[in-house]
Amino acid sequence: MMIRQWVTTNSVAVTGSFIGLCSLPFGWLTLKTSRLAAGTSLRLWDAYGWSVAAAIIILWLICLALSLAERNRWRSIATGIAANVVLILTFIFAGLNANRLAATGSEFARVSLSAGVWVTIAAVYVLLFAARQSLHNDRVWQNVISWIGLAAVVTLLLTGGLNSLSVVQEFIGRESRFQQEMIKHVLLFGGSVIAGTIIGIPLGIWAARNRRAEKPIFYFANITQTIPSLALFGLLIAPLSALSFAFPALREFGIRGVGAAPALIALIIYSLLPIVRNTFVGLRQLDPAVIDAGLGMGMSRPQVFRRLEIPLAAPLVLEGVRTASVQAVGLTAVAALIGAGGLGWFVFQGLGQAAPDLIILGAIPIIILALVVDAVMRKIVRLSTPKGLATGT
Amino acid sequence: MIKLEQVTKKYGETAAVNGFSLEVNEGEVCVLIGPSGCGKTTTLRMINRLIEPTSGRILVNGRDTGQAKPEQLRRSIGYAIQSVGLFPHLTVAANIATVPELLHWDKSRIARRVEELLTLVGLPPAEYAAKYPNQLSGGEAQRIGVARALAADPPILLMDEPFGAVDPLTRERLQTQFAAIQQELKKTVILVTHDLDEAIRLADRIAIMAAGKLVQYDTPETILSRPANKFVHDFVGTDRALKRLSRINVERFIRPAASVALSASAREAKTAIGGKRSAWVVDEGGQLLGWIDKASLSEATSVRQAVVALDTKDIALMRCATLREALSRMLGQGLKSIPVVDENSRLIGEVTLGDVEAATAEAEE
Repeated sequence: MMIRQWVTTNSVAVTGSFIGLCSLPFGWLTLKTSRLAAGTSLRLWDAYGWSVAAAIIILWLICLALSLAERNRWRSIATGIAANVVLILTFIFAGLNANRLAATGSEFARVSLSAGVWVTIAAVYVLLFAARQSLHNDRVWQNVISWIGLAAVVTLLLTGGLNSLSVVQEFIGRESRFQQEMIKHVLLFGGSVIAGTIIGIPLGIWAARNRRAEKPIFYFANITQTIPSLALFGLLIAPLSALSFAFPALREFGIRGVGAAPALIALIIYSLLPIVRNTFVGLRQLDPAVIDAGLGMGMSRPQVFRRLEIPLAAPLVLEGVRTASVQAVGLTAVAALIGAGGLGWFVFQGLGQAAPDLIILGAIPIIILALVVDAVMRKIVRLSTPKGLATGT
Repeated sequence: MIKLEQVTKKYGETAAVNGFSLEVNEGEVCVLIGPSGCGKTTTLRMINRLIEPTSGRILVNGRDTGQAKPEQLRRSIGYAIQSVGLFPHLTVAANIATVPELLHWDKSRIARRVEELLTLVGLPPAEYAAKYPNQLSGGEAQRIGVARALAADPPILLMDEPFGAVDPLTRERLQTQFAAIQQELKKTVILVTHDLDEAIRLADRIAIMAAGKLVQYDTPETILSRPANKFVHDFVGTDRALKRLSRINVERFIRPAASVALSASAREAKTAIGGKRSAWVVDEGGQLLGWIDKASLSEATSVRQAVVALDTKDIALMRCATLREALSRMLGQGLKSIPVVDENSRLIGEVTLGDVEAATAEAEE
């Protein structure tokens, strides 16, 4: 409880503001003569000009001041808006100044985002997290401050405002490939979570009903979770290769030692533990009196399941699916290494070519995808929670 | 109406219920009571087949319960348990409507029934129908549990410590309410409890169990006055006489009481008291105010001067009170007689210690 008193929403907000101020000494834009060159780092005031720099500094100071003051609905909204404005300014002027700087250099010159921008993004995230928490009663404002900044940046991106940034340049050169890998990524993580749910929920139900089944099921799920993802992908290569040699028909379906097959299987295995465990707990934590009353009043076992167990366990089960989904988005990045494709492909390409912009091209969409999936699943969990049960988030 | 024939339930080698036979008539309240582990809850749960007997038969209205489908059987038997088990994700109305919905009643009939039952258990429908279980107090939840058990108007009601999980004051109120409901509905009830006072209060007949067997099955009066063996004797406790008094109503024993108006003079009061030592003092409308002592009248000139005021609520009894309450107040207040009043606090008569003694002697026979 002591820790609770120390770490309040305010202290998180203060931390965020502080991190924001820490972004100032770093370089914000890097001007490179070519894709792979080292480049010179430009400070905030050199990159954006003094007026914008001043605006950003003032906004961070405002955030710091508001965070130190007593927590209050309007202060949280103000902090949230200020943070969003910083984010939007950062990106608008990154785009504009990148245009300016790119015009001065050669055709191969690149302008990329530097540490200052990343620290800013981190600071904005922390600050918005704190603001969101204290606005949990006010859904409208909570959603506004959560998404407006991101929405503005995405709009900017789509309208070409950021085209001079090296990341976007990399993208423009590989648009169709990007779309391909994005689709593969979604299919991989989506498919594995759906399959994991279809397999995991029955396993969870079995474990909850049957004491003897409980041990082996959890033994398996726990062990697989501890295997590092890359190792599991690698372990699956050999058996799947052997299988596809033994049954050439499988190769027609695209099941080979490398590629999507081992990735999908491994991802399904990883989705199992959160889903099985949450299904198990969801059913076991039900008040036995409720089930007894249901049976005693004349519900058949299937009716008890449909009318009582499902609605009461659903929120927890869906939380498990949420955990598995967000986990899968991240793990799918590794799948690229064994030829399965996905956004991770860009990350590994970038690593191989020592081109940081490619890495970013892969990493940022993965992060955004994870955030979106998380938000969507949270909404689904909230919708599935029946009124009359205590609500969590 | 309900007949258990040599019912046995074995878990491995141990018999939780051993050759238990019982017959409960229609409209009777039969209370199963006994020490922990005596098999009373197991017996109850065998009636609606939540537990299947190892051997023996249970007949409801002459039909063997073992033949019917368990779900069908249970829908015709009301079931209320100690922890209530209200469905937390459904409103109170939806909870009560459970069995009618399983029986495919139409919506308007269900709605009417829900309203009827909420009124019956003393919870205004307008306020409670849309509430969720987590908004209810313990007493309210237990009442809704009983309403839910009665929803489809089953002829039989099984109750497992239905009033156990609340404080003693609420429990007493719930018991009184249940007794009133039972008067009206006349269901065949089998109730399990470990509280002997509850059993004595509510039962038409009590079945005392020990180690899975039936020890004595009689009316409360008989069990109290003629315990079958040492076990029952000890189980019932040494204050049998007192317990018996809680079964006797004061109505039978009310005798006319000397009373005098507040506005009366000392001389009128002396006449009213006559040979007794005191009289009750009432106002114009006959409402009880206090009492007056013969001795204090010798100094006073009017009743008003010498009257000793009473807190009517603490001292006076209502018609429906038991002799046990009468004795309790006599001892508490140091009086040899207690006034009996009606709903408007008007004096009806009094009950004396002598009456209590006479009633005890009568019960001994």
